[in-house]
Amino acid sequence: MLSDADHRAVVEFIYREARLADEARYAEWLALWTDDGVYWVPATTDPRADPDRHLSHIYDNRGRIETRVKLLMTGHRYSQEPASLMRRLVSNIETSSDDGELVAESNFALAELAIQARRELHWWAGRTTHRLRRVGGELKMCRKKVVLVNAAEPLPNLSFLI
Amino acid sequence: MSLASGPTIDYKTLVQDDRIHASLYTDPRIFDDEMERIFRRGWVFVGHDSEIPGAGDFVTRRIGAEPVIMVRGADGGVAVLVNRCMHRGTMLCLADRGRARTFTCPYHGWTYDISGALLGVPYPGGYASFDKSTHGLAAAPRVASYRGFVFASLSPVGISLAEHLGLATQLIDRSCDLSPVGEIELSAGWVKHRCAANWKALPENDSDGYHLGFVHRALFMTVRTQYQRVVGDEQAIRAVVRDWGNGHMEIDWSPGYQGPFEWLGGVSGAAVADFVAALERRDGPELARRRVLEGPAHVLIFPNLFLGETNIAIVEPLSVEECVHWHTPMFLKGAAELNGRLLRMAEAGMGPASFLMPEDLMVAARNQLGLHARTAPWLELGRGLNRERVDADGRTVSHVTDETTNRALWRHYRAVMTEA
Repeated sequence: MLSDADHRAVVEFIYREARLADEARYAEWLALWTDDGVYWVPATTDPRADPDRHLSHIYDNRGRIETRVKLLMTGHRYSQEPASLMRRLVSNIETSSDDGELVAESNFALAELAIQARRELHWWAGRTTHRLRRVGGELKMCRKKVVLVNAAEPLPNLSFLI
Repeated sequence: MSLASGPTIDYKTLVQDDRIHASLYTDPRIFDDEMERIFRRGWVFVGHDSEIPGAGDFVTRRIGAEPVIMVRGADGGVAVLVNRCMHRGTMLCLADRGRARTFTCPYHGWTYDISGALLGVPYPGGYASFDKSTHGLAAAPRVASYRGFVFASLSPVGISLAEHLGLATQLIDRSCDLSPVGEIELSAGWVKHRCAANWKALPENDSDGYHLGFVHRALFMTVRTQYQRVVGDEQAIRAVVRDWGNGHMEIDWSPGYQGPFEWLGGVSGAAVADFVAALERRDGPELARRRVLEGPAHVLIFPNLFLGETNIAIVEPLSVEECVHWHTPMFLKGAAELNGRLLRMAEAGMGPASFLMPEDLMVAARNQLGLHARTAPWLELGRGLNRERVDADGRTVSHVTDETTNRALWRHYRAVMTEA
């Protein structure tokens, strides 16, 4: 169980992270990460997925998270140029603590207007695990794992921040 | 015949030596014709031996529009069974992969063994006589493999796989021989990337060396990659494209490489010492040095297999306007220390969240939109006709930005689509 204050801080962090991703505020989103951050989107819903043996959609260490963001910030990452219009709903947030870190599990539904070609509305949904840590008094993400309900199906471009 | 009710499609007019017609990407009748002539009659890549190591191991795939199960038999052989119950047509197996002893239809319980033989039919009293031996699963009449790559043809007659692959076996060798034991392993699972374009856009783009500096500009602005040497002054670029015949098309980056392992992101020293030593023991120092300089092949094996350097990819047509690009890292057996790196490279290069393919598939989707314009129906394909040359082995070679590869694809396409 987290204290009410910790729980509230975690929830606010998750909402803020969602908004920065939705609004393509790349530098601010990048600043949410710790230096040892790991960003993982498995290519399967199987809980036994092992990122060291199985192919993932995303398995970024901090260096690669930064590359991902820098690509988007060039203005020439054409699969996100212009950026998809997005709004996500985050719900069912459950918090706990583990090994000194704050852990949150949540569900999300994301409407993405992929305006770069066919201007289609894509619906994304899944479950996210955040692990947060206080760095200099501020909450930062050290791990974000996103398990899409359709992780193993053919997916359209996923070059925005999920 | 799929075209019995419509006018004949004149492929010789639609596919010319230096231009092709947009309807090839948008006409559903042409798509149906391709599923018959290219995907049913020809050789199509289905899967790799290493995906089904033990008896009963299977993967489900599609050959064109046809759902199939590639399964390892009790005798160690590979069968490609049509994934459809012989009773009422229900798709038998939904799982992507697994291990089975039998396949049972969910509709009325008809059960088949892994060779496709019908084992049992519930309530047999409803038939005066029933010959189970004539109701086994349909199977691809021809299945053949080369270095673990399993191909099938749904036609009982036609050229052999060896004839279809022709000289391009050398490129499959180039990739497999990077493994110290000569075997690749596809065990990481596949990522499937959906593309809002005709399937032919993928083989075309996989063998197009002209687009890199434009479509992938963000990547070149951000990080150093093995493709750095193909953007810049046209005269200074040394990479080439090659036509291997039968629609097999290569981009060879290696003439531009200036040192070993550029294809692996430029690793050196201890990380690859054991690997290099193992290759040297097998091949001697000179050949081993060449292998680690040149790296794996970059070749599209017509129509649906892409050896994409350190990745293996499959092109899956869905409809005239949609297809899927599958990929998995090409693990090298006997070089476990490299496979972690190959896995991370696969995620960087291919798939919907990678740093390369989202741009390719966005552009392919933009092409698909533009190709509906009929006021300007032709696509130009003449780049490099002024400078391509034929080498001693009869392969046409040219500057990496030339359309030699895509002309090769379309020349073969025209031949296949107009065969008697």
